[in-house]
Amino acid sequence: MSSIPQPIAEPKEPQFERSQNVVMGKQDFTSVLLRAIGGELYKIWRRPLSKILLLIGIIFVILGFAVISIGALISASSPVESFLPPSCGSSNSVQTPCLNHLPTKQDLANAEQAKQQEVRAAAAALYLPGSLSTAVNILNFIGVILLIILAGTIVGGEYNVGSIRIMLTRGPTRAQFLLAKFGTMLVCSLFSLLVLGLIGIITGALLNLTIGVSVDFKFLTGPWILHSILFLLIAVFSLLLYCGLAICLSTLGKATVAGVAGALIWWFVERILSSALSFFGQTIRGPFGDFLKAVPDYLLFNNIDALLNNQQQYMSGGTAGTLTDIHAILVLIAYLGCFIGIAWWINEARDITN
Amino acid sequence: MENKILAHDNTTAISTNRLTKAFGNLVAVNDLNLQVMRGDVFGFLGPNGSGKTTTIRMLLGLIRPTAGRAVLFGMDNAYELPAILQRVGAIVETPTFYPYLSGIDNLRVIAANSGMVSGKANNARYEEVLEIVELNAAKKMIYRKYSLGMKQRLGIAAALLADPELVMLDEPTNGLDPAGVIDIRRLIQHLSSLGKTIFLSSHILSEVQQVCNRVAILRKGNLIKQGDVKELLREQEQIEIRMNQTAETERALRLIQQFKEQGAHWITQINLDKNNREQPIIMIDAPTNRSAEVNMVLARNNLFAAEVHPREGSLEEIYLQAVQAPAIPGMQPETQAYPHTLPEKEAML
Repeated sequence: MSSIPQPIAEPKEPQFERSQNVVMGKQDFTSVLLRAIGGELYKIWRRPLSKILLLIGIIFVILGFAVISIGALISASSPVESFLPPSCGSSNSVQTPCLNHLPTKQDLANAEQAKQQEVRAAAAALYLPGSLSTAVNILNFIGVILLIILAGTIVGGEYNVGSIRIMLTRGPTRAQFLLAKFGTMLVCSLFSLLVLGLIGIITGALLNLTIGVSVDFKFLTGPWILHSILFLLIAVFSLLLYCGLAICLSTLGKATVAGVAGALIWWFVERILSSALSFFGQTIRGPFGDFLKAVPDYLLFNNIDALLNNQQQYMSGGTAGTLTDIHAILVLIAYLGCFIGIAWWINEARDITN
Repeated sequence: MENKILAHDNTTAISTNRLTKAFGNLVAVNDLNLQVMRGDVFGFLGPNGSGKTTTIRMLLGLIRPTAGRAVLFGMDNAYELPAILQRVGAIVETPTFYPYLSGIDNLRVIAANSGMVSGKANNARYEEVLEIVELNAAKKMIYRKYSLGMKQRLGIAAALLADPELVMLDEPTNGLDPAGVIDIRRLIQHLSSLGKTIFLSSHILSEVQQVCNRVAILRKGNLIKQGDVKELLREQEQIEIRMNQTAETERALRLIQQFKEQGAHWITQINLDKNNREQPIIMIDAPTNRSAEVNMVLARNNLFAAEVHPREGSLEEIYLQAVQAPAIPGMQPETQAYPHTLPEKEAML
């Protein structure tokens, strides 16, 4: 007889079997999260609001490019004579070249060249590589507004309607529920950027066809493609940051309006605040003035602009942002961490009552 | 591991140990010790504001208890909520869905969050549950246009979607017409026959009496009564005796009192009362199947009753007695033990 004590048998859990018609998926954290994101995207896809927002975005992008093309169209349709130097009698400036004779063929050729240069400069925002920046800049305005509305709605709507009770009693944890919202907005930001960006680039190209500026694809080098990808990723990240703000405020306020209004006010006010603080900083001077001047360096939009400008500098030779990439990245990650952290903490601690 | 469950009894579906929830100074649920066994159809009763929904929300993890624990299927819901919820289907109060989606689209979204695969794989299940709640004809109708009864039915469909082991229904008959109420009763009976555990919170006591095998009654957050429905009803049974003359009534009362003292312990109480014609009657708290015995005792002593009425108990009486009795602070609920008693360590949870 063995003297080794036998382990006490644990009572066996009765096998729980579901109907054959119920097909369950994997239950690991990632699979549950991905299915929750899928569910969120399905809701957005079936929702009239998201279609309206997308339509507004498309119209705004097309209109944006159309407005930009007006200057180039005016230049292109202007007669060559309007690009001739003014006649010497009408020009008062000594340094400005003037014409003291009837335009010769050479003068007309020079005028034609000046016209082409002006049209090219005016249309630069309509064709690649300039149209990529134009599309992203338009998206940085209208895309932010539309995605804030969407983000505020998908979180606040759960509380407004009361569907949060059902969603939180189905299996996913509260953290998965929240991460699904962020994941959904990441997909939406990416989708918006790709779709609206593409529509913008195509619209710009079509408008450029009417203007007739030839496009040179010499810019299409390896480094340009790399910086363009980084530029687009920064744009997605910036959209996600404002969505994160809307999600956080919607969770905090348990309402759509809290997220939408709060994030839009933030987005609008930080630009005014940045200018005001810089102005007061310069006026007051001293350590406090320096402090006030430094505050805008930690505002959301300034850091996003810095990252975008730093990439644009490589892409189209624009001016670099005043802040370094590492500064901007660290500040923006801190913001995202705060938004996710606050929303997570509230979500975890909150009792879901009426 | 100390915080994990201490013992596990696989016959228990739900057990709570001193579950308490306070909202500021208001104690919504106080020291609740519930026990629901697998396969039970458990009626959870109480007036409005008694803490029924708060309890359900605590069980489902929607609100955190101030004190105490809730264990479902042997798992503490503070630590293993997702695993528990995989086995539970619930509607809490009036279920609310996405108003811009159709009934079937709402089920698709819920399925994605219930661990079910997306796509067409579960189409047969959607059809099945919609068929059960008779919403197939309106499955493509936008939820916003649903009537209250249809919304309630969709809620039940959503609760049944993943074919859960435990179905928690909080007022499932709200907004339903009488035919709908009967359908829900049949559905509960059908689910019970499939071996599912049903936790039913309802105000319709006649329905609860018909479908539930066990009930608990809450009042002001306190558990007043918990037990087997049949047992509770048996406790309410009475034998009503009316004699022809007042003198006979007094004699009969004395005789029955003596009978009780001589060993008829099944008589719990004897009262003199009046019926609705103002005639004196003797009310004996005893099982109705003992009425012949009582009658025989009287007859042996040359007392012949004018009327002997065995009176069945009703859940309504039990409920009203429980909720209308004056509250005693710190009172212990009347709780019947299950026939299959739990291990001591489980009871200590």
